[in-house]
Amino acid sequence: MSSHRTSSSILQQLEMHSQLQHPELHSTRPGHDPRRAKPRGLCWQDRVWLSLGCIFLVLLLLRIGTAQASNPEFAAPLGVLPEWGLSLQAGDVSALHLALDTAIHVEVTGLLARVHVAQSFSNDSNDWVEGTYRFPLPDGAAVDRLFIEVGGRVLEGEIRERDSAQQIYQQARADGKVASLVRQERANQFQTSLANIGPGERVHVMISFLTNVDYRDGAFRLYLPGTFTPRYGNEVQTATGMPAPRPRFASITSSASHGFSLQVDLAAGYPVSGIESLYHDVDIQAVASGYQVTLLNLDEKTDRAFELQWTPEFGGDPASSLTTWSDGQHVFAQLMLIPPRDSSLQAQSREVIFVIDTSGSMQGQSMAQARAALLAGVDALVTGDRFNLIQFNSITEPLFQQALPVTAANLGMARRWINKLEADGGTEMAPALREALRAQPAAGQGQGGKVQANLIRQVVFITDGSVGNERELLTEIANLLGSSRLFTVAIGSAPNAGFMRKAAEIGRGHQTHIGRLADVGQIMAALWTHLRLPAVSDLCIDWGVEAEYYPEILPDLYAGQPLWVTARLAEEPAGVGLCGELNGQPWQHEAWPETATGANSLATLWARRKIESLQDSLMFGADPDQMRLQITQLALDHGLLTPYTSMVAVDHTPVRPGGEVLARADVPSLLPAGSTNSTAFPATATGWKTQLLLSLLVLAISGGLFLKPYFRLPVFRGRGAPVAARP
Amino acid sequence: MTIRHRHLAAAIIAAALFGTVHASWVPAKALLGQVLLERAWQARLAGEETAKPWPWADTSPVAVLSIPRLGARHLVLQGASGRNLAWGPAAMTPVSGGDVIISAHRDTHFDGLNELQPGDILWLNDGHGARAYRVTWLDIVDSRRQELVLLNDRERLTLVTCYPPNAPLAGGPLRLVVTALPAYLPNAAPADSDSQSNTLSLTTRRS
Repeated sequence: MSSHRTSSSILQQLEMHSQLQHPELHSTRPGHDPRRAKPRGLCWQDRVWLSLGCIFLVLLLLRIGTAQASNPEFAAPLGVLPEWGLSLQAGDVSALHLALDTAIHVEVTGLLARVHVAQSFSNDSNDWVEGTYRFPLPDGAAVDRLFIEVGGRVLEGEIRERDSAQQIYQQARADGKVASLVRQERANQFQTSLANIGPGERVHVMISFLTNVDYRDGAFRLYLPGTFTPRYGNEVQTATGMPAPRPRFASITSSASHGFSLQVDLAAGYPVSGIESLYHDVDIQAVASGYQVTLLNLDEKTDRAFELQWTPEFGGDPASSLTTWSDGQHVFAQLMLIPPRDSSLQAQSREVIFVIDTSGSMQGQSMAQARAALLAGVDALVTGDRFNLIQFNSITEPLFQQALPVTAANLGMARRWINKLEADGGTEMAPALREALRAQPAAGQGQGGKVQANLIRQVVFITDGSVGNERELLTEIANLLGSSRLFTVAIGSAPNAGFMRKAAEIGRGHQTHIGRLADVGQIMAALWTHLRLPAVSDLCIDWGVEAEYYPEILPDLYAGQPLWVTARLAEEPAGVGLCGELNGQPWQHEAWPETATGANSLATLWARRKIESLQDSLMFGADPDQMRLQITQLALDHGLLTPYTSMVAVDHTPVRPGGEVLARADVPSLLPAGSTNSTAFPATATGWKTQLLLSLLVLAISGGLFLKPYFRLPVFRGRGAPVAARP
Repeated sequence: MTIRHRHLAAAIIAAALFGTVHASWVPAKALLGQVLLERAWQARLAGEETAKPWPWADTSPVAVLSIPRLGARHLVLQGASGRNLAWGPAAMTPVSGGDVIISAHRDTHFDGLNELQPGDILWLNDGHGARAYRVTWLDIVDSRRQELVLLNDRERLTLVTCYPPNAPLAGGPLRLVVTALPAYLPNAAPADSDSQSNTLSLTTRRS
């Protein structure tokens, strides 16, 4: 302590002063000089100091601990959070009951699943009511059928333009007719409305949709979101005159009795080695056409998603499946390419460029997730790889001037760099993208020339995606990509999931999303495994005939990730040729068509993919009106539910007598447990008052002790010490 | 008193001082933030669309929330990130209408939120005029078990903060959720009017 001398001289003076004034105090310690005291173990002052120090340290640690714990974990942006479940409309009436039974029937044929969701609304009240049921569907589900059954009559829904469907429904509702309207509210969110359910009446609504079964890591999966579930509490009280919906903080604990049944008919059409339901008890029967899976406990609580998994028996080669169906005018085809088993793939040396968003919006939990993801990524590098890290906020800052080989020293430097990353400043994404895609590895450059030429270049882009200039960025990616592949890792609330997905699509990689810090390890481990094992790269498809297919940009095939291509062809193809690179060698494959049994399913799926692609074109500055028209036409042609088209069914027999009022009320809804569509509350406390109080307390005590020898303070000094004289 | 004592003492005093400053920084930032945001807000009202509260900010005020009972007026930021919450209350949804959810720290901007009562009026001005909401109920929810659900087609204002209001440590699981529904107060001016006189008694039964 350099200022010790000066400060001690002041202290000396203070001490002298105090001695002069209060000699009786100092006489208890004759000849005591604080600076030359003999060390004699721990005196009580030492102990006080040490305990104070310890307490303070603990407090600081606590503070740091809670500061971290208090960060919110946003699973999804609130903007995309729907209100799932059933609600009831009522006016000035109280106590309404509406029970809901759900029966789901799934037919899996090959790679397609047709799902029928039948729901029975029964009105236990004495009022005419309107029920609304919101539900999520799996990604890419194509909703194309609606039936309602009331009083023994079955009515089929028609696809109409959204506004006209709404009008038809409103009219029927006003006229007292039973009517149903199914609308798409957001990408995967749908809503069924059912008007004029009479007192004590039961109405069945059946919605049907098509979806692809998912294939990941060697197994097929059928996924159904777990919110075909009724509400919590079946009673709501509204005070007269209140337009009051009761709140949506639905408790998952309360159990409402409701019927739920589920059956899956699995006709895979290929050898299957194991069927497993991940979250529910099921009964599996072998039948002539394949397998029949039924939910065992029919009253089982269903706030968890249903996931059925079965493992196909494929060999070590990439397997393909090509199904076609003709409507007389066009031929619709679906091609699935399954990568070979992991064991037959060779890990390949790569050049990995990690790009990390350190803008202000990443602050807090997002940055912690990003750091964890990056560290995991760096750990997954192996000798022979090359890597670099680039951070960007208002400015772009690479760690190395160019990608360097993986060595202990370089890795250590990277880890230190990652740990020091702080989020602050703006989001200038374009220069970082340019920097990452700029330095393409030139053949023979750097050490180990021969290997270098074959390096696979992967750019891993970690960001929360809060950008405004999507169009410019996507164009930039398309122009600069070259032989690189772009993988986007969306962090936290990812407000711009559409951009992240599209960027990865254009970048011929894929997108990963991390919602919670706890998931970082698992998700990133899966990603790094995939990245290390590219199965087939530089894919090309030769349909042999004129074809319009989606996705338009073919990604590489990675271990455990299949490729689905949906096409509309001018005529029946003889065979479809596939080419690419497998384990660094040229690879060719021919797929032979089989006629699908699923009737027009392929056309429906193709239209669904085309609609998605049209929606994405907005990001490239497509004319919204033009896009809307195209989508509407496509949806009407193929009978699809889209944001611009709804399905409506009306029973033309009026059921509600003219005098009766249609009741409206809301019933709280249920949010599924662990749903990716749920969001946590933000942390809304800082605890600064406690910290301030404790800091001041420590300051006061330590200050008091520190100055005690020099001021007269009312203290006891050991046994028999006199009470200090008060001035 | 030995040298040892003095080093130790100096270290502890320094640490305590650091703690004091560190803790004071939170309310200081909360106050300063509001001043800077106010300037940006006024600039925005004056027609400067891209007004930033500070030159490098990538956030800007989107609304003014007035809570007459607490005599509070806060500038609201978009996006409830930890960083935004330090500067001001943050909206988790668009503030232009529909279901608006705003959260803030219980010990800075939403200090005293628990004193709100059903019937109180809240004002939200998104730059296109102030909307009035009437507090309908206050809920205390456990954030480990329950989640926020957005209503797509309803006008609603929800204020969220931590609970209990005076817990010594941050990071507790409980949240205070104030739900307010649109109130129709023709020709009433925000904040200036004594909105407490509009108190309406409600009987809302919890299910």
